[in-house]
Amino acid sequence: MSSTIGLEPVLGRSDEMIVNMGPQHPATHGVLRVVIGLEGERITRAVPHIGYLHRNHEKIEESRTYFQVVPFTDRMDYVSGTQNELPVVLAVEDLAGIEVPERAKMIRTMFFELFRIASHLVWMGTAMLDLGAITPFLYTFWDREIILGIVERTAGARMLPNYYTFGGVRRDLHPHFFKDVAEFLDHLEKRMPDYEHLVLENPIVHARTVGVGVLSKERAVARGVSGPVLRASGVAYDVRKAFPYDAYPEVEFEIPTSDAGDTYARFWVRFQEIYQSVKILRQLLEKTPKTGPFKGRAPARLKISGERYRAVENSRGELGVYVVGDGGDKPYRIKHRGAAFSNLQVIPDLFIGAKFSDAIAILSSLDPVFGEIDR
Amino acid sequence: MDLRIKRERLFDEDVYTVHPDDYRALCEQLKKDGFDYPRAISSLDMGYGLRVVLQLTRMSDLAKVEVRTDVSYDVAAVDSVTDLWPGVEWHEREAYDLMGISFRGHPDLRRLLLEEEWDLHPLQKRYDTGGYLIPDWRPADWPDPAPWQEPAPSQEDAAPEGGEGE
Amino acid sequence: MSLIPIPEDRRFKIKLIGYDPGRSRPWLERFVYSLYVVAFWLFVIATYAGVPALFDWLGWDGGWGYVVMRALQVVMLFLLSAVIALMLILALRKYLGKVQERYGPMHYGPAGGIQTVFDALKLLGKEDFVPAAADWLTFRLAPAVTFVSSFAIFAVVPFASGWTLADSNVGLIYLIAVSTLSAYGVLLGGASSGNKWALIGALRAGAQMVSYEVPLALVFLSVAVWSGSMSLGKIVDAQLGVWNVIPLFIPFVLYVISSLAELKHIPFDFPEAESELIAGYNVEYSGMSFAFFFLAEFVELFLLPALIVVFFFGGWHGPLFGLEPGTLAAGALQSLYFSVKTAVWVWIFLWIRATLPRYRDDQLMEFAWKAMIPLALLGLVLAAYMRLIWR
Repeated sequence: MSSTIGLEPVLGRSDEMIVNMGPQHPATHGVLRVVIGLEGERITRAVPHIGYLHRNHEKIEESRTYFQVVPFTDRMDYVSGTQNELPVVLAVEDLAGIEVPERAKMIRTMFFELFRIASHLVWMGTAMLDLGAITPFLYTFWDREIILGIVERTAGARMLPNYYTFGGVRRDLHPHFFKDVAEFLDHLEKRMPDYEHLVLENPIVHARTVGVGVLSKERAVARGVSGPVLRASGVAYDVRKAFPYDAYPEVEFEIPTSDAGDTYARFWVRFQEIYQSVKILRQLLEKTPKTGPFKGRAPARLKISGERYRAVENSRGELGVYVVGDGGDKPYRIKHRGAAFSNLQVIPDLFIGAKFSDAIAILSSLDPVFGEIDR
Repeated sequence: MDLRIKRERLFDEDVYTVHPDDYRALCEQLKKDGFDYPRAISSLDMGYGLRVVLQLTRMSDLAKVEVRTDVSYDVAAVDSVTDLWPGVEWHEREAYDLMGISFRGHPDLRRLLLEEEWDLHPLQKRYDTGGYLIPDWRPADWPDPAPWQEPAPSQEDAAPEGGEGE
Repeated sequence: MSLIPIPEDRRFKIKLIGYDPGRSRPWLERFVYSLYVVAFWLFVIATYAGVPALFDWLGWDGGWGYVVMRALQVVMLFLLSAVIALMLILALRKYLGKVQERYGPMHYGPAGGIQTVFDALKLLGKEDFVPAAADWLTFRLAPAVTFVSSFAIFAVVPFASGWTLADSNVGLIYLIAVSTLSAYGVLLGGASSGNKWALIGALRAGAQMVSYEVPLALVFLSVAVWSGSMSLGKIVDAQLGVWNVIPLFIPFVLYVISSLAELKHIPFDFPEAESELIAGYNVEYSGMSFAFFFLAEFVELFLLPALIVVFFFGGWHGPLFGLEPGTLAAGALQSLYFSVKTAVWVWIFLWIRATLPRYRDDQLMEFAWKAMIPLALLGLVLAAYMRLIWR
């Protein structure tokens, strides 16, 4: 962490300036530190250092019961709330053979997609902030606030709701939930053309992002990136379609992909994902019964043996978890496969050769969240 | 090729448990079979040794495979597969950092999340949550039928005694 | 019981976020801010009409008396620039608040009216820190160079007919010289900070200056060719019939773009790009040294729009309702016209700041060298032809 690796000058290169971008830097979305070598404005080397937010979730979770593990996962990717809880919940349900009622699956999926919209709105605001526009940030946070309000009414908390549990969800939906979500979707559909105008159709955004930070299809797959970053490189891999979970087999949606692989394509894919989330939510609002069971039968004291890898498609990509149980009520080992963690590995691929300003745009298009990367 | 390997199927994944010396050979085989997407490298403290779990996906038909290999505490090292899948670079570094498994041939094997000066690998079971050595912790015996199946019996490192535990 | 906002729905905004657009009391706001405008106007009248009248009454209008009078006017202009900075910072913050659906300053003074005074006091109270790695003298001088070179533009700006410190017949050349100097302050300040971000910011400022100064000079030349003079007063006089913006449309557009670059204003704020260089060239400055950079920025935010008005929008021209030009009332009215036109341009600049993201620095350079300079030459040739044909 506090290492000097990457800082040592290259022999025979006196024209290279080495700067420490981060860990306290406005555009690193938290605590990323990248040691960057600059030749003028061009980046000659990029050595990322992470771990400034490391709490060793995995060790702590070994000393907690399965029920206590779920709220811990919320703290990983703190902008997409319940999405983090799902892999653990799914893996444990698989191992313990817990049945989940259909309605509970639909409720989970609705929250999942609400948080995807919330996360992409945060991304949109912060990406535009990185590009120098301050106003979209305030607009998107306003809309995200409504989602958090909806979540708070049902789950009781805003960002870290601790809402999913083994066999379903913890509480039934708030009576206003369906009305709130329907109104929010109407509102969002009115706002989206404005956002497209501010971001996707903005000529300055075009100038800054088109052709910048191109990640080829083969490199993206080999680097193990996932989510919008992978789909912007032309791979239609989405865990929701590839290994469906919860209510996703019952809804119709498309996987937006782009072949360009540049920063603009990553922007574009995230926008299309918001539209797809709206589509999924509209279908689920129709299908979900207003009343019914929200939780299946799960033992109060879970004892689990066996091991299971489960993944979900969170806002940043494939969020996986590898749960190993030794027959006790505490996990023997939990390994989180962070989506942003794997995505961030492409920093040297994309940074080297780019301009310094491009690096900021590229980083914002990767959308890292350091709660999850450092865990 | 004679691999010391056990094949099983758990849920929707093929699970291969392999001798650490054959780990690299199996990975090369899987790479040739078209497993192009590295999901993660996990690591486990089995009590008698450390386990590396490599999870792969084949993008063409979405087949999933899991490669496991056990190493003793004394020789906690396997060959790196970073050149096959560059995406495991940080996962291997993380396994080295938190679990103490070395990856031979990794281009940049150093601590990822903890500080450079840190001297323990906190996910090992010999440390408690606070990072202190558990006084009465002893490594278990190496399982007698090894986790993999021997094609031809060879005794040179099938049953190491396990580490001393500091 | 709806959580969902309709943008006009005041109830929702209060309920969900606690935002109540009515709470900012728009009428009080307008009244308080109009006081700033009145103060500004009175300052202008006092500087350009009051001080000469006072010296005339005292009978000190020749020799040393003239020198003292000009010096007093400069002091008045310095105070005026402080008023302008307070006013514009407040306007910027309030306007950004409006655009972004929030209040802006609310607590100090009626409708947040004296927030910036307290900001200035805070800056005064802060330690003026010189990093160990900095070059002490250069580091100290840089804010002064920046401020003085911005402030010196005041000397040639005509607020009304005859209301200018020095209606020099080389006004345009003076402007080029002085505005280039302001980039030197940034360059020196950034390079002497002993900080890599500041150094990159300073280099960017230098690269930026090299690219926008050439089209800027060519635009000045077109204006001079069309108006037949380099004196700013005569340039305004020449726009009595038709404002320059119509015949000199290409130079006008180029001048606005160059002004944005000279102001280090979004979309060209590369030297201090917050999300890239943290604060760029002024990252190591604190206290009053920083305040002078800030002051210079906002004085330029007034003066460059003012120059747009002088060059292209008829300066102080406007209907005089039968008042005799040269009298106090006519001058006051003319300075009001000038200020209103300037305010419109300041607002346009703030609007740009609230709306646009940032270009990349090499894109400005590319645009300046590959598009702006040829266009500026075209504008110059057109201006020369039009002068031959119509004047």
